[in-house]
Amino acid sequence: MKGFLEYVPGDSLLHRMNPVAKLAAAFLLVIACFATSNLALLALVIVLDAVLAVQCKMVSQTLGLAKAVALFSLVLALIALLFTPQGDVLAQLPWGYIGTESVAAAVLIVVRLVACAVPLFLVFYVTKLTDMANALVKVLHVSYKYAFTFMSTVHFIPVFMNDMAGIMEAQTARGVEFDGGFLKKIRLMMPLCVPLLVSSVRKTNSAAIAAEVRGFNLRTRESGFKEYPFAGIDFAALVAAATIAAAAVALNVLL
Amino acid sequence: MIEISQLSFRYREGAEPILQGIDLTIPDGSFVGITGAAGSGKSTLTYAFNGIIPHCYPGDFYGSVTIDGLDTCEASLTDISRLVGSVCQDIDSQMVSSVVEDEVLYGLENFGVPKDQVEGRIAEALDAMGISDLRHRGIAELSGGQKQKVAVASVIALKPRVLVLDEPTAELDPASSLAVFELLARYARENGTTVIVVEQKIALLSDFADMLLIVDGGKVRFQGTPSEVLEHSDELLEIGVNCPRSTSLVNRLRARGLVDAPAARNVDEAVRACKQVLSGKGVSA
Amino acid sequence: MIEFENVSASYDGELPILRDVSFRIPDGDFVAFVGTNGAGKSTTMRLVNGLLKPSSGQVLIDGVPTTQLRTSQLAAKVGFLFQNPDRQICCSTVREELLFGFRAQGRADAEAEAKVDAMIERFGFDGDAEPFLLNRGTRQLLALASIIVMEPPVVVLDEPTTGLDFRECAKVMDVIAELNARGTTVIMVCHDMEVVADYAKRVIAMTAGQVVADGETFAVLRDRDVLARTHLLPPQVVDVSLRLVEDGAVAAASPVALADTLDEMTDALAAAAGACERTGVR
Repeated sequence: MKGFLEYVPGDSLLHRMNPVAKLAAAFLLVIACFATSNLALLALVIVLDAVLAVQCKMVSQTLGLAKAVALFSLVLALIALLFTPQGDVLAQLPWGYIGTESVAAAVLIVVRLVACAVPLFLVFYVTKLTDMANALVKVLHVSYKYAFTFMSTVHFIPVFMNDMAGIMEAQTARGVEFDGGFLKKIRLMMPLCVPLLVSSVRKTNSAAIAAEVRGFNLRTRESGFKEYPFAGIDFAALVAAATIAAAAVALNVLL
Repeated sequence: MIEISQLSFRYREGAEPILQGIDLTIPDGSFVGITGAAGSGKSTLTYAFNGIIPHCYPGDFYGSVTIDGLDTCEASLTDISRLVGSVCQDIDSQMVSSVVEDEVLYGLENFGVPKDQVEGRIAEALDAMGISDLRHRGIAELSGGQKQKVAVASVIALKPRVLVLDEPTAELDPASSLAVFELLARYARENGTTVIVVEQKIALLSDFADMLLIVDGGKVRFQGTPSEVLEHSDELLEIGVNCPRSTSLVNRLRARGLVDAPAARNVDEAVRACKQVLSGKGVSA
Repeated sequence: MIEFENVSASYDGELPILRDVSFRIPDGDFVAFVGTNGAGKSTTMRLVNGLLKPSSGQVLIDGVPTTQLRTSQLAAKVGFLFQNPDRQICCSTVREELLFGFRAQGRADAEAEAKVDAMIERFGFDGDAEPFLLNRGTRQLLALASIIVMEPPVVVLDEPTTGLDFRECAKVMDVIAELNARGTTVIMVCHDMEVVADYAKRVIAMTAGQVVADGETFAVLRDRDVLARTHLLPPQVVDVSLRLVEDGAVAAASPVALADTLDEMTDALAAAAGACERTGVR
């Protein structure tokens, strides 16, 4: 997962869109995905995801991400499959049964999570964090302190993942075998949280000082050099995402 | 000009003061190299220059530090930052942006540099560090040496009077370390900026600094030009500071009565001394 | 014996970091890998103990390809000290830290305890101390101790002296030199050419994922062509010696032109000065 949530430079349409519009549209799509149980509509969102990925030339990252989300949601899907006995009986279990509705619910979970995760993550790959924070401050009048905190948190995710990878590598070199089952891996990783924690505390502390000596406290809404005006494409994207969300809600009410 | 008078500092969790009664005057435009053994207090001394003590770390602060007349105890950290630019040791956590250009822009925005000057400042700073071609690159994909140059550029864009760097070459290979020092020295010379560098690499400091400070036990043990300080190579060794090999070589030749050259600060000076030895003119009759 | 046979490697399967690298390191050797960051040195180290597997060619440890060895077997054969001790240290006491490797490899028995105690004694550690409260140099020593307490026949060191002061550096390097004197193979990446000159028997210089030179330490460090290609500066005494020859101050075969160390150079210059003055040694 090298480069997870790290900005990938580019000049695609998605790269150039207004950060706030991107974020808002992604959230509208998330709402749409959770409001509907209509597989056709979710499939439409997935197609849209694919188009977006191709548009900003991020196909391999998107596939990797979709795979990771699918694997994660598979766990949830499995739980739904085994513990929500609904519909016609397909198989008897000691504590209930697997029904047709259980299968539908399980499929829905996977499709829904993949459909809504892709646009949200793509936003981070095609938007510089600084632009996102600055646009939130300028357009939505969010306090810079909150925007900066949010930005730093996301900024540190790849740093910490990199640290964790380094720590695991060092332990592997000492003979710790991480290449076992999931639970074994988690158990082995637990003690390693100590070095990670130590380095995180050190890093966040020095990051805070570094920001302060570069005038963090002076920053106001007017400080940002770039302006973030909404263009036609931004309005179009918002309208499109809002339409999908509205359709999702409407379908839910009507059906 | 920087004036430190009777400065002592003890971290709140520390039993002993880490700095003890330091008196120091640094004229404008100096290139100051600070070194010393681990735990000698050299890093803390740099914190005194950029106001990180007493503003960021709690502890007992005695004495005074004034930078161009500004008392660092009375001024806020932000006001000190207008005069003193700092490059921290951990450059990865210092970065706030994903692209080089934005990293340089960040401080300019905060300090409210007029928007019509911003472009010029960015271009100038990147040029001074020789990284104009990296302007639109992602920071994550840069090498350690390139990142270090970005960190320095993002600070010199603010045109500080004083530049403080904490082990800027710790993670770098010899070629990049040398490049960073060369760029720093040239920038400082052209702009009259005072540079204060803490370094473990004594050979680099001796070659580039015009004032060397050796810290030991929270005190400045030796202070002067590199040649003056390197005269004391034996005493330096006792407090855990080695000399460049060029220095040791010339000091040994002198000990054998072969040459009476001053302590060599770099290979050039050592070569010169050796030539004197070889030509039989090492010692004047 | 470590053997690299036409090894190429990459992290993402696309961009090659190492291209067709071959060398062999016999038991008991002390090899320093030098070159700029990004030359492929750290990648080579990862290949030596199988953290990274070659994309083509093979890495053999005592004749066995790393691809056929389990993690614990690799760890037992090759100890690895990383540049940053804080990535390695994860236990709450010095003693636990030293025992960690034995636990990971499933051999934390009475013999292991005895070795740990001996190591604590030898390094003068406080066994109950909290590792994260120790200073940087001591943490590096602890990280090193926790590797060598396992007595691997080969140790790999990735920039063992970075971030240490002169005394700490000497302490760490003396432990390594002693280890080598007792037969352990030492392979290290090092940026400090003075340290390389003082300790290594052999130097392998790399640039852009390939080996540029491989030979006796001073044979490599005196080669201006190799130094230029790998962007390295020679140790200062070697630099002085080379410059004196280049400037025509001494003949190419004179003792000054062959002096590698501070002692050799001082003696050679003294002798040359004496001969020049025809007054003997002053």
